[in-house]
This record gives sequence, C-alpha cells and structure tokens, in this order.
Amino acid sequence: MRRGWLVAAGTFLVLFAGTIYLSSKLPLLDALGPGPGFFPLILALLGVVLSLVLLVQLVRQPDATVGAPDPDAGDDLVPDRSAMFRIAGIIVLLLAAFTALDPLGYRLTALVFITLLLLVLGVRNYIAIALVALALSFGVFHSFYYWLKVPLPIGAFGL
Amino acid sequence: MVDTFHYLMAGFAAAATPTNLTFAFIGCFLGTLIGVLPGIGPAAGTAILIPLTFQLDATGAIIMLAAIYYGAMYGGTITSVLINVPGEAASVITCLDGHAMAKKGRAGAALGIAAIGSFIGGVIATVLLVVVATPLSRLALSFGPPEFFALMIVGLVLVTSLAGNSLIAGILMTVTGLLISLIGLDPVRGAPRFTFGLPELFDGLGFIPVVMGLFGVGEILATAEKPYREVIKTNLRGLIPSRDEWHRSMGAIWRGTGLGFFLGLIPGVGAIIPTFMSYILEKRLSKHPETFGTGAIEGVAGPETANNSYANGSMVPLLTLGIPSSPTIAVLMGAFIINGLTPGPLLFQERPDLVWAVIASFFIGNVLLLILNLPLVGLWAKILEIPYQYICAGTLLFCIIGAYSINQSIFDLWVMLGCGIIGYLLRKLNFPLAPLVLGLILGPQIEKSMRTSLEMSAGDFSIFVTRPLSASLLALAVVILAFAAMQYAPKEIRDPNAD
Repeated sequence: MRRGWLVAAGTFLVLFAGTIYLSSKLPLLDALGPGPGFFPLILALLGVVLSLVLLVQLVRQPDATVGAPDPDAGDDLVPDRSAMFRIAGIIVLLLAAFTALDPLGYRLTALVFITLLLLVLGVRNYIAIALVALALSFGVFHSFYYWLKVPLPIGAFGL
Repeated sequence: MVDTFHYLMAGFAAAATPTNLTFAFIGCFLGTLIGVLPGIGPAAGTAILIPLTFQLDATGAIIMLAAIYYGAMYGGTITSVLINVPGEAASVITCLDGHAMAKKGRAGAALGIAAIGSFIGGVIATVLLVVVATPLSRLALSFGPPEFFALMIVGLVLVTSLAGNSLIAGILMTVTGLLISLIGLDPVRGAPRFTFGLPELFDGLGFIPVVMGLFGVGEILATAEKPYREVIKTNLRGLIPSRDEWHRSMGAIWRGTGLGFFLGLIPGVGAIIPTFMSYILEKRLSKHPETFGTGAIEGVAGPETANNSYANGSMVPLLTLGIPSSPTIAVLMGAFIINGLTPGPLLFQERPDLVWAVIASFFIGNVLLLILNLPLVGLWAKILEIPYQYICAGTLLFCIIGAYSINQSIFDLWVMLGCGIIGYLLRKLNFPLAPLVLGLILGPQIEKSMRTSLEMSAGDFSIFVTRPLSASLLALAVVILAFAAMQYAPKEIRDPNAD
C-alpha cells in the first residue's frame, strides 16, 4: 500500500507541476481582475505543496498506515493472476469496442463485445452467451434507438 | 406558507399525471434494481440511465432520475441483508445486523422494517423539505458571489474532511477535481485552457463520462477481482416485524429521520455518515448494546431510516442553493444542467412548476417504493441470483451507451475508460472519490463566483472577509479543516496527556 501511495504522490506532483507550467502561460491578471490562469495556478500550487507533504510523510514514516485497503477492491494491491486476466480482458475489450463502434455500428460491436466479455469472465454456457449477447446488442439497440430515440451509431453494414 | 401549499398542490397535480407517475414508477424500479445490484452504485447508476430521459420533458426527466436516486437507497438494503455486501455505500452498516438477522431466519423482518423505516423517513424528510425550501431559497437569493463562493468552499471542505482516512488525500482529490473542471474554454474570457489544441476539449471533459468512468467502469474493474458471492436462502414471508421488534424499532426510526434530514442539509456530509451516526446513537441508547452486530433490529431500522431521510434532505441544498452534497446528487445536478436548468434559488422563481412537481413526486415515489419493496422483495432476492458476469456485461454496455449518447462522441468513451482505470487504481489505494466529483461539478461555479467577486472589488481579496456572511462561512471552513487536521494528527498532538 505504501509503495502505491508513493507512486500516487509522485504522479500527483508531476501533474500539478505540469499544471503550474501550463497555467503560467495563461494571463494571470488583467484589467478586470484575475485572468484565466489565476485559479488553476493557485490550485496547482496547492496541489504541489500537498503532494510534497504527502511524499515527506511517506518517506519519514515508512511504517505509517496510510489508507487501509478498500474491502470491495480486493485485499491485495496487486490482484491475483486470474483477476488480473479478467481486468486486463475487460480493458482490452473496451478499447476494441470503442475503436469498432463507429465503423461497425452499435449492434455488431455490442454482439462481439458481449460474447468475448462473457468468455473472458468465465461463462461457458454458450446458449446463455448467445442469448445475452443478442439481447444486449440487437434488443438494446431497438429499445434505445426506436423507442427512446437515443442516437446510437449505425456502421458500414447498416447495423 | 399559503403560497407553498398552493405550489405543492400544483406540484401534486403535475406529478400525478399518468405520464409522470409512470416515470416515477420506472425510476423507483430501476433505482431499486441499481441498489440491489452490488458493483453498481447510485452515482454510476443514475448517470448510466440519463440517456433514458433524453426524450422526456425536463419535469419527467428529473422526476425519474430523482426516483432512481432514492430508489437505490431503498434497494441497497436487500443486498446487505441477503449477501452481506452493500448494494450501495450507505448500506454498509446494515450488513452488520441485517445479515445477522438473515442468518437467524429473520431476513423478512429486517427487510420489512427497513422498507417501513425508509418510507417514514423519506416522507417526513420531504415534509420538512417543503417547509424549509421556500425560506431557504429566498435567503439564498440575497447571497452575492462572495457568499456563494464561501458556501461552496464550506461544502468542499466538508466533503474533503469527511471522506476517506487521509485529509491530504481528500484535499488532493478535491484539487484534482477542481482542476479537471477547468479544462476547456475559460467561462469569463473564453480563452482555451489545458485543451492541447483538441476541439473535443473546448467544452471541457464531460461530467457524465467522468462519473461513469470513476464509479461505473472503476467499480466493475474492482468487483472483477472477486466476482463470486453467496446469497442466503431464507424465509422472506415474515415481512411484518413482531410486536417486540416494532417496539424496539420505532424510536430508532424517529431518531433516524431527524438525524438523516439534518445531516442532509449540510453540503458535503455524504450518505454514509448519517447511517453510521444513527447506528452509533442506537447502540449508545440501547439497554442491550451487546446485541448489536448479532441481529439487533434497531441496528437496521435506525440507519436505513436515516439513509432515506438523508436522501430526501440532501435535496434541500441542491434545490435551494444549487450545491450538491454527494456524488449522486452531483449527477442529478448534471441532469438538471443537461435539461437546461440551473438548480438553485432562481429555479424556484423561474420554474416553480418543475421544482414543486419534483418535490411532490418524492411523496409519490416513497409510496411506490414501499409497494415495490414489501410485496416484491422475493423478486429482488431472485435478481441477486443472476451471475455477476451478466450484470457486469450489462453495466458496461449501459456505460458505453450513456457516455456515448450525450454528445455522440467516441472521445467521451475514451474519457470514460481513462477515468475508469484511474478510478479503479484510486479505489485500490483507498483515495476518496467523492471530493473529486464534487470538485469537478462545483469547479466552474467556484471559479466564476471568485472571479466575479474579485471584479466587484477591483481585485481586492478582502471582499471575502469584509462581508459578514462570507467571512463567517470561510471561518467555518477553516474551523472544519482545523478539526479534521487534528483528527489526522499524530496521537501525541491530539492527546498530549496520553501515556
């Protein structure tokens, strides 16, 4: 946990330092008062100070317990192999779905996405997979697009 | 008061139309479903379902989304009692005695008293909301930019100091949220900030994709680590508590109502604190505190009532001041904005028809929820048996639809995924997410009030401390921060006489 917090504090420090640089390029004050760069600069300065305080705290008190693990998020900071596979699988499938959404359209993308997602999550009942994938792709599209008038992408194959 | 009664009756007339009744019912049903399903909280659930309201008029949309919010508060109990996993964060404490009651075969009574307590708490809190809404909104109309700035700072400081177990982490999250909110065109001068030349960023990062990412995708990733759970098979027939259980619960219900409503008025308290405070209060007042944790019905009745009373009470700062008190209320505020409405005192003057219809719908919604929760409890228990994998697939798909359909933008999906991964990592490290979300929604208003105030004073910062109300509020913020800092200070500073 401590190592994770050290990485987080370091990341915050870099991000806030970058924000200070970007804010300083914006007008800080003008004739009407504070300019566009004023508020972000103040916030980023505060962020840098707090990140440094957190880093110093973590370095000076290596045994300090900062932030107990979230019971819902698993006991260990690094999940086990199978959990890691599921998490990585979800992220990769989401990346692929977002890339395919415009060219392939919602229905085809959702059909493939749900099928692969359920397989990654360990479902092996192929009939259930097919039914759920059809319901969440074609069924949901019909409900949202035609009944609720929610615009969803239609791809190159008209699907 | 006569005006208020007149408006409320008009609100009832609007809320009770078949269309709005249907929206309230759908909202209550979906809200209960969101509450029941672990791994999807009310903030993400409400955000995901915003696209359902695109074709509705503003009144119907807000009625439905508000019903989803307080419906989720009801539904979370079922999961806590039956599988010892809170359906939403505010039901954490119910796991202790609710689940213990289920193990003893009293799940029905636990769910029954929770539903009845929630109904009483929700209705009384709405009556109190009616009483305080008009005077508070009139008072808020006298606020200038410095007072609003100070009030929002108090809200942020409260969220920061009450969330999580590290004050520094809380403030870091708030600052991050505020900075993210500044991405896009500067609201006063129109200059682009942190947009890196990307036109998609000119309007800023979408609030809904960010919330869906942090709370929806982030939660799914976190629950993907431990996707299996066991549902207690128990008797759900005895929903009406016994005479003794009634006797023990009534005091807890009244106290939970008062506590929940009062804490709901304070911006930034969040839904968890009222439930914990109610539990602690009931344990202190009990003649048999040793029974708490082993199936004491007061440990279910008090927190569950406080939870729903809080949900309705927290509408007061949103509707009268335009300040959200929790991430879910922030999502509701986002829904107001999507519908072209700005919550706050002016809304009572500009759209009294909408405000009072929404308030009246709270009464109707609480009745609907009682009907949904008591006779249909078996249905909700069955839904809990749906394997996690299918819920995960459905939730992710609704996240995609929700994030995409607001602007029909693939970019928003990338934002959602990025925020999902960040949200997952922050959850793992136990960084609080609520301050980030509130910073995100309040950021533009805070900056605008600060800059307008400074323009009023020609750049003189003393404007914030020379106006009595603004000065008092800022002093209050400092006191809250100081108390919070003491709480996190090393033991030797907090209690020099110890050991």
